Amino acid sequence: MTTHEDNAAPTRRDFIALSGASAGLAAIGAAGWAQNAAEIDAESFTNTDHATDVLVIGGGMAGLFAAVKAHDEGAAVMIVSKGRLGASGLTPFGKGFFVFDPKTESGSIDDFVDTVSRSALGTNNPVYTRQVAEHSRDRAAELQSWGYFDQTLAHRPFMRPIEDRDIPLLERVTITHLIKEDGRIAGAAGFRLDAEETITIRAKSVILCTGAGGFKPNGFPLGDLTHDGSVMAYRIGAKITGKEWNDGHSTRVDHPAATFDGWGDMFERVPSTNGVDVHHDLGVDMNYRAYALGNPVSGGPGAPQAETPVAGGPFVPEEFQRNFDSPPGGDGPPPGAGEGGAPGGPPPGFGAGANVGGASAGMAVHKSEGLVPINDRCASTVPGLYAAGDALGSHMSGGIYTQIGSSLAGSAVQGAIAGEAAADYASGRAASVIPDARLAQIRDQILAPLRREAGYGPAWVTQTLQGVMIPNFVLYVKKASMMQAALAYIEELRDHHAPMLRAANLHELRLAWETRNMILSAEMKLRASLFRTESRCSHYRLDYPEVDDANWRVWINIFRGEDGTMQLEKQPFGTWPAQG
Amino acid sequence: MKLTIQRATILAAIVIFVGLPLSFYALGDAPRRSLLKEAISLATLIAFAAMLGQFFMARSNTWLLSVFKPPQIQKVHKYIAYTAVTVILLHPALIVLPRALEGGVRPWDAFVTMITTLDNLGLVLGLVAWVLLLVLVLTAYFRKPIIKRLATHYRGWRYTHGGLATAFTLLALWHAIALGRHTDPRMSALFIVLALIGFAMLAKLYWGAPSRPTAPNPVQKGAAS
Amino acid sequence: MTIKSINGCIGCGECVKSCPCDVIRMDHGKAVITYPADCQICHLCRMYCPVDAIEMSPEKSIPVVVPWG
Repeated sequence: MTTHEDNAAPTRRDFIALSGASAGLAAIGAAGWAQNAAEIDAESFTNTDHATDVLVIGGGMAGLFAAVKAHDEGAAVMIVSKGRLGASGLTPFGKGFFVFDPKTESGSIDDFVDTVSRSALGTNNPVYTRQVAEHSRDRAAELQSWGYFDQTLAHRPFMRPIEDRDIPLLERVTITHLIKEDGRIAGAAGFRLDAEETITIRAKSVILCTGAGGFKPNGFPLGDLTHDGSVMAYRIGAKITGKEWNDGHSTRVDHPAATFDGWGDMFERVPSTNGVDVHHDLGVDMNYRAYALGNPVSGGPGAPQAETPVAGGPFVPEEFQRNFDSPPGGDGPPPGAGEGGAPGGPPPGFGAGANVGGASAGMAVHKSEGLVPINDRCASTVPGLYAAGDALGSHMSGGIYTQIGSSLAGSAVQGAIAGEAAADYASGRAASVIPDARLAQIRDQILAPLRREAGYGPAWVTQTLQGVMIPNFVLYVKKASMMQAALAYIEELRDHHAPMLRAANLHELRLAWETRNMILSAEMKLRASLFRTESRCSHYRLDYPEVDDANWRVWINIFRGEDGTMQLEKQPFGTWPAQG
Repeated sequence: MKLTIQRATILAAIVIFVGLPLSFYALGDAPRRSLLKEAISLATLIAFAAMLGQFFMARSNTWLLSVFKPPQIQKVHKYIAYTAVTVILLHPALIVLPRALEGGVRPWDAFVTMITTLDNLGLVLGLVAWVLLLVLVLTAYFRKPIIKRLATHYRGWRYTHGGLATAFTLLALWHAIALGRHTDPRMSALFIVLALIGFAMLAKLYWGAPSRPTAPNPVQKGAAS
Repeated sequence: MTIKSINGCIGCGECVKSCPCDVIRMDHGKAVITYPADCQICHLCRMYCPVDAIEMSPEKSIPVVVPWG
């Protein structure tokens, strides 16, 4: 175990660059410090208490299967989701679903796992890579039977198995706290978006299907994903991994925030399946090109290739180097692969034109960032707490996009496995007792931003965070001095802004909690990136540009030390974490 | 071409029942969508205006009876009824059907959501109006056997038909103003004025007494002269 | 202006439920664009709306932070 210490001080130039990035934010309408024009009264809140065996948090692909399989394993299940089942997180936007069909594939599952491992430079966890190939066909068949592959929108197909099983579903509930008692999970708490009501859910086991997250960036539809699950889990002692990896999606220079427009017609497509197609899709390379040569950057299928060769930059294994010469809709990867398969390059439908990176800023590669699994059944380091999909740091793909369409498939496969494992854990076990005083304390914490008479507006703090974290010279093209400078900013937000966030209504209360979570995730990303003094896959450091197999064939785990500070440790590739 | 009184009447009718809704549509600020959807919107607006026009192509419009022969009026009343009623009866389906051509909610799912939103007054009014229109059209189609069976014969039929038409128009108008994409104040005012005049003429016919219209009423003046 | 306008709303609430970012709220039986700054222009509301009432715009209502100039 290593405690992170890096003494490279930010230079004056670094600070100027950072303040420049956040300059002018005051002028954009989001008030910073101000009186809280409260629209609702925190004292008028009621609380609703629920109890279940297995609580599934999140209503995407992973949450669906977690709930269905936990129920079928005999547990009483409840789903709670920030949004609507099948219409929140990234699930609505992924359209490619990887299926390994032994009848049509030329290679074996072993071949597939080996290919992924070669592309991922060892960063993938082969146990989880194998799992997605082994189970994807069964999950796709179930989805098929619910009508998922018959229409664009996932809500109705997702509701079919939930209604058939009569699984209770709480939608538009923001969960802010995981509750641990006697060293194991005991439930969760949060509040409703549509009523002045806090929610307490007592559960014997909890499955986080909360997705990953970002900094509410522009150009990628993850505005509702703010790492809520992994940050809540971190606070109760879970280990978090994969924070140094980067999703490198770009967006258009024109209307960068228009995610629908940026993805062509993809959001309107009906989901479909695809077979083995392993890549090494970076996106970070584009950021490096822009960093080295300036704008405009074009790229992706159909776009004219940049003429000027660029020296240095992220390493791509020769086997996986490809060019984007094929015209759109040509022989290239299926355009439907899209977000679900998440090629690191520009999304389909871009054509020629200037792009800008950072579309998904704050998000790592799917399945790489999240709770550290202690086994092949999605269990975390906190007894009774499971995670699946993008909330689990399974490193199914590794620190890079490898298999097209495996993101959706991986969420389905892991959701199902976590569901069964959590039901097994809950079976025959008595629920932990949560002291009333603890619940009262949590309710006070939840509502605190509403009670503040004055404070920082969550939108302003988020924009400040974006100004610090989104520029490509911070997390895409990394170097110690700049990351130290950014970390200084983030620590400031963590210590002096997060505790003073205000909220005038339930919408702002959600924003306040999301902002807190993003600040902590930013700290994790900076510390993990500073810690890994090499370059590998989607983690690229200007000051350590080479792959360093001697020291860094390891994953980085983050956890909260006994003094409350963020601790980092190495976990060698191919091992499970030390239990403790 | 000579401007006969007949031609002038037809022209005026087209201006009022087609021209005005079309120009109010053009002036409105509802966003334009695909050609198909806009065509459907226009067809629905014109069909509703034509339904209002039916009040003017009836026995109640004594002035019109002095310009055209009753069988002529009856024929036009019938043809307009067939086309306009078809569009209005299809209106719920026409709202959702274009979705089959695009990604997003499927027409049937949209339809179910729509007709089960029963906590919305405007929508419930529309549903009731739709049923009334269906009854109106069925009774009109089978009017001969119905008239035979009614104790009051033709007079009773007239009350039934006029009453149903009035009830439908009231509910449909309310529905359209509450929910319609194109029923901005201008369009709403046009429909309300036309409906009130139509109701007034009908009332005058049924009860013989001159009604008290709420709006300035050139047609009434014409009818009185 | 992100999600731009809602015309012909029947008050079914589908858009409110399907908006990932809680941009739309019901007010007196109609959907109202309440928090446009948080719109991610993903069009889910438009796609879920049964009566096609929602008009979108690619413009974000607040300035956008991008990673390079």
